[in-house]
Amino acid sequence: MNQWIKLGALVFALALAGCQTATGRHEGTWPPQQTPQQPVTKPVYGTVLPPVGEPTPVMPPTVPGAESAIPPMPLPEKVSPNFPKTADAISGPAVLSLLRSAQSARAAGQYAQASGSLERALRIEPRNYFVWSTLADTYLREKNFDQAVSVAQKSNSLGRGNVYVEQENWRIIRDARSAGGNAAGAAEAQARLDAIQQLLQPTVTPQ
Amino acid sequence: MKAFLIKIRLIVVAALVLLLSAAIIGFAIYLTSLDKEIRARFAGARWALPAQVYAAPLELYPGLGLDAATLKHELERLGYREQPEPQGPGTFAVTKDQALIYTRAFKFWDGLQPESHLQVRLAPAGITEVNDADSGKSRDIVRLDPMLIGSIYPQQGEDRVLVKLTDVPQMLPRGLVAVEDRSFYSHYGVSLKGIMRATFANLMAGHAVEGASTITQQLVKNFFLTPERSLKRKFKEICMALLLEAHYSKDEIMEAYLNEVHLGQDGNRAVHGFGLGAQFYFNKPLSELRSHEIALLVGLVKGPSYYNPRRNPDRAKARRDLVLQIFNDEGLIDDAEYKSAVERPLGLAGQSDGVARYPAFVDLVKRQLKGQYQDSDLTNEGLRIFTTLEPRAQEALENQITEGLPALEKQRKMKPNSLQSAGVVTSVDGGEVLALVGGRETRYPGFNRALDSRRSIGSLAKPFVYLTALQQPQQFNLQTILPDDPVSITLPNKDVWEPRNYDRQNHGPQPLYMALAQSYNLPTVALGMRVGPAEVRKTMQAAGYSGNVLPVPSILLGSLDAAPVEVAQMYATLAASGYQSPLSAIREVETKEGQPLSRFPIKVKQTLPEGPVYLTTWAMRQVMTLGTGRSAYNVISPSTILAGKSGTTDEMRDAWFAGFGADRVAVIWVGRDDFRPMGLAGASGALPIWSKVMRDINVRSLDPTPPADVEEQLTDPATGLKADESCTGAIQVPYIRGYAPTETAPCAKLLAPVDSAVDWLKGMFK
Repeated sequence: MNQWIKLGALVFALALAGCQTATGRHEGTWPPQQTPQQPVTKPVYGTVLPPVGEPTPVMPPTVPGAESAIPPMPLPEKVSPNFPKTADAISGPAVLSLLRSAQSARAAGQYAQASGSLERALRIEPRNYFVWSTLADTYLREKNFDQAVSVAQKSNSLGRGNVYVEQENWRIIRDARSAGGNAAGAAEAQARLDAIQQLLQPTVTPQ
Repeated sequence: MKAFLIKIRLIVVAALVLLLSAAIIGFAIYLTSLDKEIRARFAGARWALPAQVYAAPLELYPGLGLDAATLKHELERLGYREQPEPQGPGTFAVTKDQALIYTRAFKFWDGLQPESHLQVRLAPAGITEVNDADSGKSRDIVRLDPMLIGSIYPQQGEDRVLVKLTDVPQMLPRGLVAVEDRSFYSHYGVSLKGIMRATFANLMAGHAVEGASTITQQLVKNFFLTPERSLKRKFKEICMALLLEAHYSKDEIMEAYLNEVHLGQDGNRAVHGFGLGAQFYFNKPLSELRSHEIALLVGLVKGPSYYNPRRNPDRAKARRDLVLQIFNDEGLIDDAEYKSAVERPLGLAGQSDGVARYPAFVDLVKRQLKGQYQDSDLTNEGLRIFTTLEPRAQEALENQITEGLPALEKQRKMKPNSLQSAGVVTSVDGGEVLALVGGRETRYPGFNRALDSRRSIGSLAKPFVYLTALQQPQQFNLQTILPDDPVSITLPNKDVWEPRNYDRQNHGPQPLYMALAQSYNLPTVALGMRVGPAEVRKTMQAAGYSGNVLPVPSILLGSLDAAPVEVAQMYATLAASGYQSPLSAIREVETKEGQPLSRFPIKVKQTLPEGPVYLTTWAMRQVMTLGTGRSAYNVISPSTILAGKSGTTDEMRDAWFAGFGADRVAVIWVGRDDFRPMGLAGASGALPIWSKVMRDINVRSLDPTPPADVEEQLTDPATGLKADESCTGAIQVPYIRGYAPTETAPCAKLLAPVDSAVDWLKGMFK
């Protein structure tokens, strides 16, 4: 029972986080040249763009036993947060090229080379959360677990609710904590991961 | 009698033979010892090689905001030569909408960047395309060779950049032979012809006018001997020259000579070898020198101080032209080249270009390496150190400080040169130190104020007081009303502390964010005493303050000392939303052969909670729009969202400004070395410099999107309560999620109570 309350609260927090970019927009000054409804076709290099398309408010699914924490809200048919799903959507060609070389270096076990390329990419687009996430994963494979967790958290922070990058980051955090012997922390990360997966696939809402 | 004479003769002969044998044995022993000395010196590392320090390389890619003029400036800084048709590495041509660049090859720690022939398309906003000029294929990103910014050489030491004979222009060794030692390739180390010629010339003149040293002898002299002049030494020199020739090839001797020869003096640094000579005088690699430049260096061998081209340009030019004539006589250059070469000016790089240009920054690099490397590793092993220095940011910081101080002195009718200053620019995410200035004489390696001048930080401490309070959302938010009343605090030592506002006025109760924006002291002390100085100190330490000040009430107003670089660390933690990256000036260190030794990867650790940092930053944005920082927008576009804080200490002894945009943190300090008051506050002394630096480095606007644990609510500024559209002057204020005021302000329409979710949606679509 208790864990359902927790889970419900989590889902709610994530859902709110998902909407957060939309609420941030009405300040009007950023991004300067576009209205929220306009779909963005070409990203400005070095700028982390908000999700494209209609700002669909994400409503959390109702979870049994979590009524106290969540005001009743309708359950949408399918959750479709309009967040960029991959680095391609928010990165310029230079950063994508560096990401590719980082990925092949990482695949070859050359972690210093991989982080070197990622750091170059971050100098160009310092707030590109997909690059930070790839860096976190590189630290994980390098068995630098503390940095893997910290960098993944930073990526989450810059992602401003992007569930796709959060999903990857919580996986990294889970693996890093579990490999570093922090079972409780790993379980917490797993719970976050489950919550995101539920959010992305509302059909598997627990009964 | 006859027999006796014969006996005597025999004895004499025997004695002579014995003596001669003894002399030969003695001489053999002498030669053997010289031989050993020579071989020992030539076999291993022949020189102690100072570490070479490089700036961050410029990366060219589509989307980079670099216009034609800036690109040209960047290339010239690297010693690239502009010419109508770029030909060979280190040349370029640039027009308004296109640049053709022949880049140099460079071996980076993570691989070789080969030389390439690029076509870069330019628009006013920056680079739109980078293509391979020959194939037309587009390139995603190209790294230029990094600028050599200094070397770490021992005190009173020799500095050099090693070259290989195979890599130098052939005009150099051939020209040296023509000028210094015509029979180099045929003699055995000494030249009898040369000695005779010199003796004759000296006899004719009645005194020594011509030396007879071969290149081999010159090398021996430089390598093994003291500068004393005596027959004994001359004898040793000749022996060693012969031995050297016996052991080593002409090419080996020539290569050693190219690297050994003394070409000038730069303060207490001796410039040795043609590799460094090219950098020192022309700010380019040796391979790119043209005939008149090679001739100048060759001419310098005869007397680097007598022919010093910076001090004695006419004498140097005459010598250079003479050398060019010899080049022409020897067929090294044709008549046409000779004619145009003698017409060319000396073409020296400014002394401040290239090597040893950024003493304060190199000082920081040395300190960062201190724990990890011995001094001798840095001065002897030829390490290559790749730093984070961004020449453009450094230039902006230097220019604004060197221009800003005289302007302030003039404006305030102060004695010229009475003010001092220091500044730091860092990146936000990753903590790279991009620029550092330690005093107004930016080329002078003196007192490094950016690192060593620990001064009282004044109101720069205030954001940490507010951040401490905002971490208790149940008690404080940005709208919490603070009293602006006189306070009197009895300190542990029974002293009574009665701080006042900077303008000595009381302004009535203030919302928390406004007290920070206007830098009011009394509300800050009131708030700080509620959360406790010890808690505030903890926040400062979490941000990166490393001192051990006692947690006394006066720290709330910044009576604690910190160096500018430490302030930069504290503000960088705020700028990075609480994710601290320790400041670093180095990216990689590698051996002279190019093997990676150490890397300084990005390190991140969350030391402060994101939501409260966001709220504090929001208040620091108000500093810029309606508080003490607002004059920044006289030089920066108002659409650029910035956060900052001014700092002024007692009687205006220190003027500070610290702040950041999305990608850069800058800290500026202005004051006097003798700690006397100077009559400048943070906003009048440091802010003008800070603003222009931020403008020059194209700081990016802050992202106003709040993090997940922050919500925004329309707020009535008069009451701090929840507002709606009918409230005039209502503003969006961020709160820690769940802690926004629920009570509605009197100005709001009294509608039926609305569900919070609907209200939230309404706010979103407004």
